[in-house]
Amino acid sequence: MTEENYISAYQQKKHRKNIFLILSVFILIIIMFMISMSTGFIRLTPMELIRTLFGMGTDKQNIILFDFRLPRIVISILVGMALAVSGSILQGVSRNALADPGILGINSGAGVAVMLFISFFPTTTAAPVFFLPILAFIGAGTTAILIYVLAYKRGEGISPTRLLLTGVAVAAGISAVMIVLTLRLSPENYQFVAVWMAGSIWGSNWSFVLALLPWILILLPIAYSKARVLNTLNLGEIPATGLGLAIEKERLILLAVAVGLAGASVSVSGGIGFIGLIAPHLARQLVGAKHQYLLPTAALVGSLLLITADTIGRWILEPSEVPAGIVVAVIGAPYFLYLLAKSKA
Amino acid sequence: MSDSVEESIDLKKVYKGSRPIIATFILMGGTIGLLFSIGLSVSFGAADIDFATVWSAVFQFNPNLTTHQIIQDIRLPRVLGAGLVGVCFAVAGSIMQGMTRNPLADSGLLGLNAGAAFMLAICFAFFPGLPYMYIILFSFLGAALSAGIVYGVGSLAKGGLTPMRLVLAGAAVSALLGALSEGIAIYYHIGQDLAFWYAGGVSGTKWEHLKVMSPWIIAAIIGAIMLSKSITLLSLGDEVAIGLGQRTGKIKFFGSVVVLVLAGAAVSVVGAVGFVGLIVPHLTRFLVGNDYRWIIPCSAILGSLLVILADFAARMINPPYETPIGALIALIGVPFFLYLARKGGKEL
Amino acid sequence: MSVLTVDHIAVGYSNTVIIEELSAAIPEKKITTIIGPNGCGKSTLLKAVARILKTQKGAIFLDGRAIQQVSTKEIAKKLAILPQSAEAPPGLTIFELVSYGRFPHQRGFGTLKKEDLKHIHWAIEVTGLGELRDRPVEALSGGQRQRVWIAMALAQDTEILILDEPTTYLDLAHQLDILLLLKKLNEEEGKTIVMVLHDLNHASRFSHYMIAMKDGEIITEGEPKKVMKSENLKAVFDINAILMTCPFSQNPICLSYQLNKETECLLQTVE
Repeated sequence: MTEENYISAYQQKKHRKNIFLILSVFILIIIMFMISMSTGFIRLTPMELIRTLFGMGTDKQNIILFDFRLPRIVISILVGMALAVSGSILQGVSRNALADPGILGINSGAGVAVMLFISFFPTTTAAPVFFLPILAFIGAGTTAILIYVLAYKRGEGISPTRLLLTGVAVAAGISAVMIVLTLRLSPENYQFVAVWMAGSIWGSNWSFVLALLPWILILLPIAYSKARVLNTLNLGEIPATGLGLAIEKERLILLAVAVGLAGASVSVSGGIGFIGLIAPHLARQLVGAKHQYLLPTAALVGSLLLITADTIGRWILEPSEVPAGIVVAVIGAPYFLYLLAKSKA
Repeated sequence: MSDSVEESIDLKKVYKGSRPIIATFILMGGTIGLLFSIGLSVSFGAADIDFATVWSAVFQFNPNLTTHQIIQDIRLPRVLGAGLVGVCFAVAGSIMQGMTRNPLADSGLLGLNAGAAFMLAICFAFFPGLPYMYIILFSFLGAALSAGIVYGVGSLAKGGLTPMRLVLAGAAVSALLGALSEGIAIYYHIGQDLAFWYAGGVSGTKWEHLKVMSPWIIAAIIGAIMLSKSITLLSLGDEVAIGLGQRTGKIKFFGSVVVLVLAGAAVSVVGAVGFVGLIVPHLTRFLVGNDYRWIIPCSAILGSLLVILADFAARMINPPYETPIGALIALIGVPFFLYLARKGGKEL
Repeated sequence: MSVLTVDHIAVGYSNTVIIEELSAAIPEKKITTIIGPNGCGKSTLLKAVARILKTQKGAIFLDGRAIQQVSTKEIAKKLAILPQSAEAPPGLTIFELVSYGRFPHQRGFGTLKKEDLKHIHWAIEVTGLGELRDRPVEALSGGQRQRVWIAMALAQDTEILILDEPTTYLDLAHQLDILLLLKKLNEEEGKTIVMVLHDLNHASRFSHYMIAMKDGEIITEGEPKKVMKSENLKAVFDINAILMTCPFSQNPICLSYQLNKETECLLQTVE
């Protein structure tokens, strides 16, 4: 056998299969997108939907679709991607399949920053929307640094277990702070914060999409360009050093990307946990552990999950809405427990 | 015959590490400290009342005096409630840590508190105005629900209940039930009521609560003390305990029932306060050694002392507002948890 | 001639110093084995050489340049390391894992080029894994898994291979299997191999050069005939060993041994 065709038929088949799977998830997202657009307090029939999309709808239909539903769906797509990629990175860096921005307390860190902001500037309409992702990023970043420092032991570095346990502890501490803050809010603001914390896609207008988009557009390509680094980090500290990876530097960059993605999503969607956990797992089941396939698949699966959760949340208790975060937790927590029961250590 | 000989040999190792003198001192000193802190807590508050008035309010109650009324109707039940809650969390934590040999076991971390709180959210939403007698039953049920899930996950897994698995399962169950509670809260607009009740600590305790919960707690404590010798054995590991002829399944079952009653009762009064059951047993073990016959009563005393003082502090920090007691205890609890996670780096 | 020299280094973990001062030279294109009791610092030395632990004092020279001053990627092109217990993430096939060995030679997204494929192909074939190429790593036996990691290090295309106890957790036959593979790589490909072994007889049989350590210091070093002497083993392990010549390698091997204090007891009773 010559070297040129050493990539075996099996490898080529696997590559084609992975591409096919990625496309299938993409198609599912489009289908879900259509369903989601027609779901809600006022239903749109498929014909009405198509007509409105092509600019031939009534004024009422236009408002519902373009001002309420569409931005919201776009946000859930973006947030789902961001959280899923953030989770994939955290799982790769910590070599722990149970890492997720929610479990690690990064979401709550972003949350507490946003909540502080809301409690000091209560009127949300006046709140500078573009400021929120930065705020959330600062909160998430501070928390991540805190967790990293607390879990770091000189000479031993970061053990995945210690990282998780530290994350759980820090999250507990932050939720205590949140309780204190909650009590100082007026009832109206309280209801708003509660809904936001439960993970409602509340920023349903285009300015939120614009606030979120640059983060996604910058951070996702960086994450993808680091696929090879993630593959290597995944082997463990010693093999990665042996292969010539500047571990500390790369780990820091990757963590910053993960934190940025999580922070930006929390700022518009509140505390949506478990997407960052489930999406990488499902993706790994589909396309394997190589991050060149894993990252895009996880991103798409994350979007699909979040659109679905948001649609279910809007539909299940009509006319009131269940925040998507609750729907995700109700699906995600049992899945997490299942993974935990299956895990080896 | 031979069994008991073997048992006494092996247990010597454990008892050697126990320090009955210190334990006795804790029990006596702790009781005095407890009485003192109850007195302290009752006399200070929005209106300061001197000790003599407190004394007469308790023993020569005069319904016409406002101060007497404050003491009898508000402060006394509150302090006693705090004490009982402390006893519950601490003893439940001790039993869990002993039975699972898990240094991170605590009713809050393992999701029992969230389970009880979830059931309370259901009570608030669907049966408003339900008498406390029934609420406490729901609370037990909730604790049992999450305990069932957490232990189920742990025992299904290869390698059993490792500390990390328990904590993560607890976190996931808390997240799940927390999300459901939030959903209910948002849907029925009872959110802030629940939040106040979560955070408000023992301030709302009434005599009625104490009357309902005391018998449960007393029965559970008696049960805990009866189990204490077996728990000492279990803390050496399942295999050792079975080797010494113990029916571990039975002990674990009764132990779990005691834990559920204690955690459920405490949560029904104070809400989902964590970390008491984590800190106190560790502290007690550090002081009195590894014999659960001493650990359980001593941690009961120290637990109630901790919660009474925390409640006192919660009132004094920023009067007339109350700082949430759960947040206050988390302030001590989180660093302690981090310390344990760091220390136990290897075996965790 | 040596490619790798260790010059008066001190190494340790956060607040414990394990090696206070040590110098050594690793001979080129030879198999060097470090032996010594548990906790003597042999793994620490190996990790220092592989730049996993930073030296607190002194320097390590690779091709005449101090490794602290060379970028980690440059080092990875000259020196590959196999950790004591490596675990591959689930779902990777052998081909994929071995292809990760090309990391220091790649840029960007890591598309495999002709040159990369050549090395991967060779590494898989030389370790005898050709048939298993598309199997997931976790489905392999312990011995096969060790071979995969060796193949990954080979795909890295380095002059030097560093292995920390490559035979641990393997049964007798598989231990020999791995050592024979290393011998073949040394003889046919001219690789410089540095490893830690616990089995003295394997060390003696397969090495050209041995370094015996105790308490962070080198007690003796040299070819096996010089190191494998009963007074050296007494000094290093505190044992009384009966040595004989190995019929396969003509190097000394240890037939049986007793703890030093045990022998003293026996002598006393005889007296």
